[in-house]
Amino acid sequence: MSNHATLDRESLNGPGLAAAGPRVDVAAVARQAGLVGVIVVLVLGFGLARPLFLDGGNLINVLLQSSVVGVLALGQTFVLITGGIDLSIGSTVAMAAVVSGLLSHAVPAPVAILGGIAVGALAGLANGLLITMTKITPFIITLGTMSIYAGLALIIAGGQAVYDIPAAFQDLLAGRVLGIPIPVLLFVLLTVVAAVCLRRTVFGEHLTAVGGNAEVARLAGINVKRFTASAYVLSGATAGLAGTILVARLGAADPTLGADLLLTAIAATVMGGTKLAGGEGSMSGAAFGAIIIATLTAGLTTLNVQAFYQQVAVGAAIIIALLVDQLARGRR
Amino acid sequence: MTTDPPVLEIKKLSKSFPSVRALHEVDLTAYPGEIHALLGENGAGKSTLLKTLFGVQRPDSGEVWFEGERREFAQPSDALAAGLAMVHQELSLVPQFTAVQNIVLGREKSRAGFVDRGEARLRAARSLARLGFDARIDVPVHKLSVAQQQLVEIARALAVGARLIILDEPTASLTTQESERLFELLRRLRAEGRAIIYVSHRLAEVMELSDRVTVLRDGELVGTRTRGQIADESELVKLMVGRDVAAVGVRGDPGDPGAAGEEVLRVEGLSSTEGVSDCSLSVRRGEIVGLAGMVGAGRTELVRTLIGADRATGGTVWIRGERIHIGSPAEAVRAGIAFLPEDRKHQGLVLHMSAASNATLIRPPRRHGMLDRREQREQTRALLKRLNANISPDYPVGKLSGGTQQKVVLARWLKTSSDIFIFDEPTRGIDVGAKGEIHALMRELADEGKAIVMVSSDLLEVLGMSDRVLVMRRGRIVAELDRSAMSEEAIVHHAAAT
Repeated sequence: MSNHATLDRESLNGPGLAAAGPRVDVAAVARQAGLVGVIVVLVLGFGLARPLFLDGGNLINVLLQSSVVGVLALGQTFVLITGGIDLSIGSTVAMAAVVSGLLSHAVPAPVAILGGIAVGALAGLANGLLITMTKITPFIITLGTMSIYAGLALIIAGGQAVYDIPAAFQDLLAGRVLGIPIPVLLFVLLTVVAAVCLRRTVFGEHLTAVGGNAEVARLAGINVKRFTASAYVLSGATAGLAGTILVARLGAADPTLGADLLLTAIAATVMGGTKLAGGEGSMSGAAFGAIIIATLTAGLTTLNVQAFYQQVAVGAAIIIALLVDQLARGRR
Repeated sequence: MTTDPPVLEIKKLSKSFPSVRALHEVDLTAYPGEIHALLGENGAGKSTLLKTLFGVQRPDSGEVWFEGERREFAQPSDALAAGLAMVHQELSLVPQFTAVQNIVLGREKSRAGFVDRGEARLRAARSLARLGFDARIDVPVHKLSVAQQQLVEIARALAVGARLIILDEPTASLTTQESERLFELLRRLRAEGRAIIYVSHRLAEVMELSDRVTVLRDGELVGTRTRGQIADESELVKLMVGRDVAAVGVRGDPGDPGAAGEEVLRVEGLSSTEGVSDCSLSVRRGEIVGLAGMVGAGRTELVRTLIGADRATGGTVWIRGERIHIGSPAEAVRAGIAFLPEDRKHQGLVLHMSAASNATLIRPPRRHGMLDRREQREQTRALLKRLNANISPDYPVGKLSGGTQQKVVLARWLKTSSDIFIFDEPTRGIDVGAKGEIHALMRELADEGKAIVMVSSDLLEVLGMSDRVLVMRRGRIVAELDRSAMSEEAIVHHAAAT
């Protein structure tokens, strides 16, 4: 019996592992597969109860519903990876919406849209600079700017919604290409771009290192402040884009937009496997998270479940998702 | 000593994890009034044994008998209540709480629903005083030194009336003097009839302090010996490693000091807000300069200031004869200075990133503007092979042993082809076998013409590796010893002189 009892050190740290291959990726792929599985189960489940739910037009509509939250979740993922949080994105959406709405009356639609995105990026830059130049935590800074940006949105809009958004503006962001709504296309495209940026660029690699351990990154000569700040700029820019999409879809720019978008976006992000502690995150996960929440909301609506109950269900889904994730991690 | 019944008897304890058998039928007995050393390389099963004993993990099979009764501690608080306390290597105090609050934590007495601070203070002060605690008891413990914090932990153990105290590498971050005081205290606790189980990598200490020694290797019991049965440290090493190993770190084979080349690094009058004051030093190609001194003497602060991690308030640095300003670690990297921090887990590695990501953290390989994962893997594989670390580049570094982790950090700097290597406690927490390898690699780097600065609290390491030793005290370099003047006595003398 004694010959099988030896556990040599080599098997702990040694060549055995070389054969084990890329473990990191296996876990990540398993989580993504799990999220897709959840979407499929939800769609089929709601489809069984209400066959109309499976109609192609309806499914596309669900994707359309998820696209604004999804775009926000992508930006938030960059921030969460650095170990921070951006609470101001909802207000940034409102500010960008109002600015692009007002601009749309004066300048060509593409310029107005770029203006909205630029306002978002500027708001993000302000967050990033405040966070990196002071020692105040991101939570507090963005809690402050959340209120500031919300107020600015109301001030800029003069306290009321901006109406009469030109058709050219609406067509550009809310139209369809080959039957697919442009926001959905943008959402998919941005997910791919963000995922590539995170996993396949030096920027993404260094951002992950900064979030995983800022001191290690700093000692390795990485400019921690610049990377941290740029995550907020990206988050602000996606909020700006989300704001302009909403203006195009609604045909009006409401300065009180966006309050409920913040929590949904963070929920989608963490559901997708991004850790609030930083250093770990997934863009496709955030996108799937947004789609899960939209599917759940849409499905419950077709089942005539009241909005109040929907809120409860979505909240429960978030907690269950993280619980399952944690159990799966514990097993490994 | 052995006439009393044992306090603790562990019988055939086994514990497996999904991929690893961590413990296999291990026995351990501790008697009242003995200091019992528990030895083994990293991964030998020491911490699993202690965690299982302490109720952090459940054993798969085997029995624990405490004071004549069979016990199964389901959680640490059960073990504590029974009279078994553990002083963890990474101290487990609430940093914002005072010594008093920490000592009574979980056992606060209340009067009319309010915490009774008077009573708590009195009890805590009493137990601290017994231990020779000389700091204020009403400041947050994070303001205390590691040694003082450790005393708070021991006081907590005594306050619950522990009859068995387990110390996990208690001297890992203590100075020689502080260690001596701890040993005195442990001897006193022994005289009171308490049993002490003591985990350490420092074999000299084990020889000095323990009555009996139990050695684990690869999850199995190698054996228990009384102090009298062990001739010397190398016998312990042999038991731990299971083969003959040249006593590590002791009088290595230092390069010929005459062979050292031109001056690569010159520092004059370096000072910082962190207590470094007017430090000057010079390191030549092919030379290993040891930086010795007590913990808190400012050695880590000096090297951190040098690389721009802490702010310098004065001083001049020349590299290869060129005067340069290093205001940030990024500038140090560009100037060709490699820094391997003492705290690998918090300063050296991003733990959940792969070995490849960590090894190529500085200037990752690019292709068409994108990160080249394949090249990243290839580079890492080559570097790790050179360092004799046979692991997959995709493996998360958090799960590697201390020695392999250090190699990954080293790989990062080999890739930058730095000229100057600064090692801060290069082998802390690294097991005996890997220690020798790290030392050999450092020597190799010196032979390749790198200039090396090594901060170390391990005197044997300082003596064995250094061509020259600088001794620091209170932020200043107070002595420079060449090979002929280097000795334990000389270093301790300069480090401690007041």
